Amino acid sequence: MNYVVAGYSIVLGILFLYGVQLLWRRRRWTRLVARVEASRPPVDPAPGDR
Amino acid sequence: MTTTAAATSATTPTAGPFPPGLVQSPRMIWTTRIIGIAAAVTVALTVWLGLWVTPPDKVQGDLVRLVYIHPGVAWVALYLAFGLAAVSSLLYLWPRTRSLFWDRLAAAAVEVGVVFNVCTLISGSIWGRPTWGVWWAWDARLTLTAVLLILFLGYLTLRRVPAEPDVRAKRCAYAALFAAVDIPLVHFSVVWWKTLHQGATVLNANLSPSIHGSMAWTLLLGFVALTLVFVWMLLVRYRIGALEDYLGTGELEVALLERRSEGADGLAAAGAADVTAPDVTAPAPAATATAEVAR
Amino acid sequence: MWRDTVLVAGKDLRIEARSRVALSQVVPFGIVALALFAFALGPDRAPMAKAAPGLFWVAVLFTTVLAVQRSVSVESGDGARDGLRLSGLDPAGQFLGKLLSVGAQLVALEVVLTVGVVLLYGARIEAWWMIVASCLLGTLGLAAAGVLYGALSAGLRVKETILPFLLLPVVTPVLLAGTRIWQAALAGGTPSYGSPWFHLLIAFDAVYLALGVVVYGPIQESA
Repeated sequence: MNYVVAGYSIVLGILFLYGVQLLWRRRRWTRLVARVEASRPPVDPAPGDR
Repeated sequence: MTTTAAATSATTPTAGPFPPGLVQSPRMIWTTRIIGIAAAVTVALTVWLGLWVTPPDKVQGDLVRLVYIHPGVAWVALYLAFGLAAVSSLLYLWPRTRSLFWDRLAAAAVEVGVVFNVCTLISGSIWGRPTWGVWWAWDARLTLTAVLLILFLGYLTLRRVPAEPDVRAKRCAYAALFAAVDIPLVHFSVVWWKTLHQGATVLNANLSPSIHGSMAWTLLLGFVALTLVFVWMLLVRYRIGALEDYLGTGELEVALLERRSEGADGLAAAGAADVTAPDVTAPAPAATATAEVAR
Repeated sequence: MWRDTVLVAGKDLRIEARSRVALSQVVPFGIVALALFAFALGPDRAPMAKAAPGLFWVAVLFTTVLAVQRSVSVESGDGARDGLRLSGLDPAGQFLGKLLSVGAQLVALEVVLTVGVVLLYGARIEAWWMIVASCLLGTLGLAAAGVLYGALSAGLRVKETILPFLLLPVVTPVLLAGTRIWQAALAGGTPSYGSPWFHLLIAFDAVYLALGVVVYGPIQESA
């Protein structure tokens, strides 16, 4: 039974940690993109174009 | 779940800082969330059923509980993730369906697949220790999983090499194709390696016992739960890839921005004008990349 | 296509004949590998003789990486790769030409290594035709996969380190098949045991030959 508990904890632990890492990466990149976008001058569409 | 706050604010067209191509539709955000919640719930259910509710097996005893997890991660890693990566790579290479969407999907599938692959090897090894007496055996399936892991890692290493998105995409897609056609060959070679010996044929120990009742349902639930976990991870990882690609050509820009904002935080607003000016050098590829990233 | 094959193979082999890199570096590396294995397993010859098939093929695999890297680096200077792209040579022919050149070097190496294994490890070969056939078929597969991955990694600055990592896992079937066929061909083995492995080698060769012929051109375009 010890093996079973170890197996479950390690596998689910890895998946959980990776999931957390994914969420953290997404948050970091989202903020980065937001900041880069905010620092750029607004893009004006060329007049007369559809 | 506060990471979606920035994205949801971006759906208001005038106030959001996100360019149109990079905005995630509310439906996408909610789909991701719901799948994530469903994944967590089904995993918890599987754990509860697997560890407590179901009875131990007549032959394997408590070890059978690992069978609720191991085939699930194996199926995701070996078939779902890898299959998706191979098909996506093919679709990228095919001129009529070429789109960086497929490249990004393949990359996401491979990265998540590596994680599940590692889980497969670990859970298989833990099952094998009390069953076979060893942490590792050159069993056909373990060996194939190990080779697949190395092939996946090769893909990820290749992906880290800096290049234009489409050059990198093409290169990685070819690598995935070469690996994909190799898999059946490796499969046969490893199975024959294990089972064909000089003289007598050695039979493989059957990995899955015949399984009934609540155990069968738990096994099925395990498959479903882990598949949901994979899908959720795939969606999040894809989103990360889309954001990374958008900024990819502007990494120096991003680093400069981060550096300056460290210093600008302590200054008055008058100093902020200096921060924005040099960042006007927006690389042209980023603008065209937004159209691609729209998926 | 065949004319271009001969042209490219001739070019590579002529470069080799003039620079003698394969002769003076690649083949000796194979022999050094054999010696290293002997030091690791010896000094009794019994374990070496038993492991001889595997050791032979592992040495061949490592040397293949060198040979492929050499084949790629021949064109890395002076815009030679662009020159090849613009030359109008059939890309399938280029692929086959490089394959022939790498394959020829490997075959030469395998002859030397076979002699080495027989002399140094005391391996006793009974079914010579199996040895020869497995070497030829195995070399074909190794060269095909090698040239393909070489093309894929050609433009990268990290190509020296990434090529073995990419190539070696992929050629696992060749290693397994070659080793088993050699085991069957040595004294004490049953030759008939080798036949499914020949089928595997042929399948491997067919797959990577077909891939190479089709895909070598597009890879060159994007390198």
